[in-house]
Amino acid sequence: MAARGHVQDPNDRRLRPIYDYLDNGNNKMAIQQADKLLKKHKDLHCAKVLKAIGLQRTGKQDEAFTLAQEVATLEPTDDNSLQALTILYREMHRPELVAKLYEAAVKKVPLSEEYHSHLFMAYARVGEYKKMQQAGMALYKIVPKNPYYFWSVMSLVMQAISAQDEKLAQTMFLPLAERMVEKMVKEEKIEAEAEVQLYFMILERLGKCVEALDVIRGPLGEKLTSELQSRENKCMMLYQRLQRWPECNALAHKLLLKNPDDWQFYPSYFDSLFHLIDQSWSPPEEGEHCSEGAVHHTVAEVVRFVEERIKGEDGKESRSLRGPYLARLELIHRLRERGCPEESLLGDPLELMVQFFGKFGDKPCCITDLKIYLHLLSPDQHVQFVNRLSEAVPLGERGEEGFAFPDDTKALQRHLCVCQLSRALGLHHALDVDGKLRLIAELKAHYRHGLKFGKNALKTELQFSDMYCLMAAHVYIDLWKETGDENMVWQGLGVLQEGLSHSASNAQFKLLLLLLYCHLGAFEPVVDLYSSLDAKHVQHDTIGFLLTRYAESLGQFAAASQSCNFSLRFFHSNQKDTSEYIIQAYKYGAFEKIPEFIALRNRLNQSLHFAQVRTERMLLDLFLEADIVLSLEESVKAMSLSAEEDDIPWDNMRDNRDLTVFTSWDPKERELTDEHRRQSLEEESVWLRIRSLTLRLLASLAGSGHTPSQQNSEIANENGVGDKSSILSGLLSQLNQTLQTASQIAEKRIQYPFLGPPSTRLAPALSSGSCQCQAAALQLSVHLQELDTVGLDESTELQTQICNAFKSLVVQLQEILNKCKGDLLDMKEGKLKTWPSLLENLIFFVETVCIVLWMASHCAKILRPLKTSLQKKKKKKKKDANTALPVVVCGFQELTGSLQDLLTQALEHIKGQETGITALKLASLSLDEYPQDEASFMKAAMDKVQSSYLRSLQEAGDLLKKRAETIKNLKI
Amino acid sequence: MTTLRPFTCDDLFKFNNINLDPLTETYGIPFYLQYLAHWPEYFIVAEAPGGELMGYIMGKAEGSVAREEWHGHVTALSVAPEFRRLGLAAKLMEMLEEISERKGGFFVDLFVRVSNQVAVNMYKRLGSTACTGRSSSITQPATENRTKTLTT
Repeated sequence: MAARGHVQDPNDRRLRPIYDYLDNGNNKMAIQQADKLLKKHKDLHCAKVLKAIGLQRTGKQDEAFTLAQEVATLEPTDDNSLQALTILYREMHRPELVAKLYEAAVKKVPLSEEYHSHLFMAYARVGEYKKMQQAGMALYKIVPKNPYYFWSVMSLVMQAISAQDEKLAQTMFLPLAERMVEKMVKEEKIEAEAEVQLYFMILERLGKCVEALDVIRGPLGEKLTSELQSRENKCMMLYQRLQRWPECNALAHKLLLKNPDDWQFYPSYFDSLFHLIDQSWSPPEEGEHCSEGAVHHTVAEVVRFVEERIKGEDGKESRSLRGPYLARLELIHRLRERGCPEESLLGDPLELMVQFFGKFGDKPCCITDLKIYLHLLSPDQHVQFVNRLSEAVPLGERGEEGFAFPDDTKALQRHLCVCQLSRALGLHHALDVDGKLRLIAELKAHYRHGLKFGKNALKTELQFSDMYCLMAAHVYIDLWKETGDENMVWQGLGVLQEGLSHSASNAQFKLLLLLLYCHLGAFEPVVDLYSSLDAKHVQHDTIGFLLTRYAESLGQFAAASQSCNFSLRFFHSNQKDTSEYIIQAYKYGAFEKIPEFIALRNRLNQSLHFAQVRTERMLLDLFLEADIVLSLEESVKAMSLSAEEDDIPWDNMRDNRDLTVFTSWDPKERELTDEHRRQSLEEESVWLRIRSLTLRLLASLAGSGHTPSQQNSEIANENGVGDKSSILSGLLSQLNQTLQTASQIAEKRIQYPFLGPPSTRLAPALSSGSCQCQAAALQLSVHLQELDTVGLDESTELQTQICNAFKSLVVQLQEILNKCKGDLLDMKEGKLKTWPSLLENLIFFVETVCIVLWMASHCAKILRPLKTSLQKKKKKKKKDANTALPVVVCGFQELTGSLQDLLTQALEHIKGQETGITALKLASLSLDEYPQDEASFMKAAMDKVQSSYLRSLQEAGDLLKKRAETIKNLKI
Repeated sequence: MTTLRPFTCDDLFKFNNINLDPLTETYGIPFYLQYLAHWPEYFIVAEAPGGELMGYIMGKAEGSVAREEWHGHVTALSVAPEFRRLGLAAKLMEMLEEISERKGGFFVDLFVRVSNQVAVNMYKRLGSTACTGRSSSITQPATENRTKTLTT
């Protein structure tokens, strides 16, 4: 029956051209060809499905679906139709329909291994674990192959993992899975490594460590051969969980004998020693110490073992391994933590570190290695330590500038390492301004001198001395933050630009440049820098925040849209992508990867950045287009945005940002802490909540338009309106609460390390007043709804209230606008100074004006019919000479007038800034004090900032002009 | 001092220091998942005690057994700049060769961009010294545009 087995199936031949057209992307021809074929062969279902694929791919989803369902209801059992439908459903993102399809197919052909296996996979795609378990067993009954049996077992494990109730997992799913495997073990039917692996997973999850250990150490464990040291690693993990310290200790030192550089076993070795001491363990009088062999249960033994490893390395002709030397420092660290006097047996940490530097100081990782042990030195030893190290750095004669330089790259690396350690010890930070400037001069001199070693370096290689340059920039940043002298940051930018010109692929230069430009309010140069990092896929999640944090807030809307799109494209492909590989993991028996893949999918779906770009992208689209290209209502509809729906996983948000992407040698007390991470995530979440609530309130505004039929079907509408207004008030009270939390956070004025997470827009949004103004505007919709119900006749009080709110909005907007005034970029006494917060405030003004204008437009829609009906009434009672307009109408007209004024003011301000900035003659800056090449790099950086400001102003101005146009539509 | 362990999905969020290198490709998630699902033992990461990722190797098994062409293939091998000059890449290659041999591979091959001179030299060095019995062949593509290129 299946078409495959036959050499010549005439249908295959007939369908071939359609497949070809589809493969080549020629969907129209595929549809035509299918139609032709269907005229002759009405019952060739597959042709219909292929046509549906063509339709789907040309955007005719509905037609495609109808056609597909025509075939699906016939419950096809031919391979061609089934496969084509599977493809189609997948493209429609309807994987659940694939399962239905094969459910029908296996009913008709109950003995087909192929269809049963497709059914299993279809369930796997949608995570129907229970059905997978049954499908697996059904398969095994038809064809008793081990993998099928274990698919079923794994499905039980997945039911356990996904169970809300941990009890159910522990008492039902996992024990059942265990019994199923035990049955196979008893019958000696275990064949593959994957099966043992799965058995281990089950026992581990059940906490049955003793049993797991028996499996791993027994004959079944012999099957674990793929991964290196798989059995040993698993045993170690189990010994630790079982607190079998003698075994843990014996195994660790056995493995360290084999590979003294395998770091993971040193901590186990030392930990187990201390546990043994605490338990006053002593070896049995005769026989082996434990099942893993000899145990080292005294500090002396362990010290001797480590010393022997070091001797082994010292005596080696080949490259020494760093592990044993660092293990000695680690042991000192641990002994000191416990207050053990035996620490002295190992020697003085200072001497040992000097010795380590002597051996490995020419490796770039020396700093990373030693950094974690610097606390072993007392503060009064710091200078001595650095001096001792410096003695071990071979440098040439002192030159004119008073600096001595290394003669080769190894000496350079050693010298660099001393600089890095000095910085990590806080010695750089302790210098005064002049000291820091001298340090910078030295670092720059070493940087430039070191370039000679990399003259022939390829474009893709780094320069040996790049890190000097980066460090010089770090010291400039220290000075900038300390003194507020902006010249420091210009010089920092200059030195980094210089570095980049010699080392075009240095990611650290690009990252730091990018960050500095953002801090100066200039986003334009960031676009190229980021794109030259070539960040892709998952990197959009880990470092995409560098773009999305700044693009919009600095008024580069086009770039902001693009940045969000990069990230969104990545996230949207994730769901579909992962299911495919979960299925593959079943096929290849990589069972331990299945929960891992699912965890990955969740981690991406719950990503903070994902939620942010989703929200910001929609807000941005509204700011740029709503009521300009489409009406707000249409825009909201096109985004399928709804006020009711909140798709952000607030309680499980994952912070996937790579906050250590910037290289830093800062001392411990200045480094990023877990507390910083927690605070940053909290701040980001609160800001996201404000933005998301704003978005949903806008959706509610768009959805709550005046409904003319209201009076006719009052009762029917009551529910609808009631629902809407309760949603609205719910959202508003959430927004107010969130704003309160926000101001508490802002009051804390949390400062993150410069190279750590950027602060959110939250604090400036509050201090500019834009948050409050936006909330007030959104709040108005409640009163407007009320007015809509009550009408104009008996609502004087309400009308006055609304008018006051109008006035207050105007005052608030004016205040925000006042906070934008001043020169963004100015030149005084030959120095250039930026005021990026003015730009930031201008963007807050732009965003807030958009929201106020939407509110006004909503208001106009409500007032128009009310006014008309009022006029009608008036015509009837002509005698009444009091033709004064209702209060609210007057107030509204005043509002639109004021908004017009505000926009004109803002546009004039922007124009003034544009003229001012364009007229700035950067050439007249006195950069004479700097060497010419340095001055030219600084000048280039300044040009970039200048140009970026102009662009931001232009984008903001363009948008405001378009917004100003919309005021015309507010006439009532 | 290095911990060598299987690469896991969570490492994708930490490998920027390795992957922000111009010759190291960051692939789409499916590409990594394919390797993790099919050849998990060929995907090894080296970790420093501070938790920084130092480098990784990603490979697979392929070829015809009947024609004695079943072999290991290195898809990517990369070490972060600060962990270079420690012999880590050689160590990772050695491990992959051992795994490949356990799995019955006759040899290990890889592609490298011709322009990636540093890598080419390293593999040549490994081929002549580290690999005695085994044959570790370097296949150099004729053009730069080959999709399967190896980077270090």
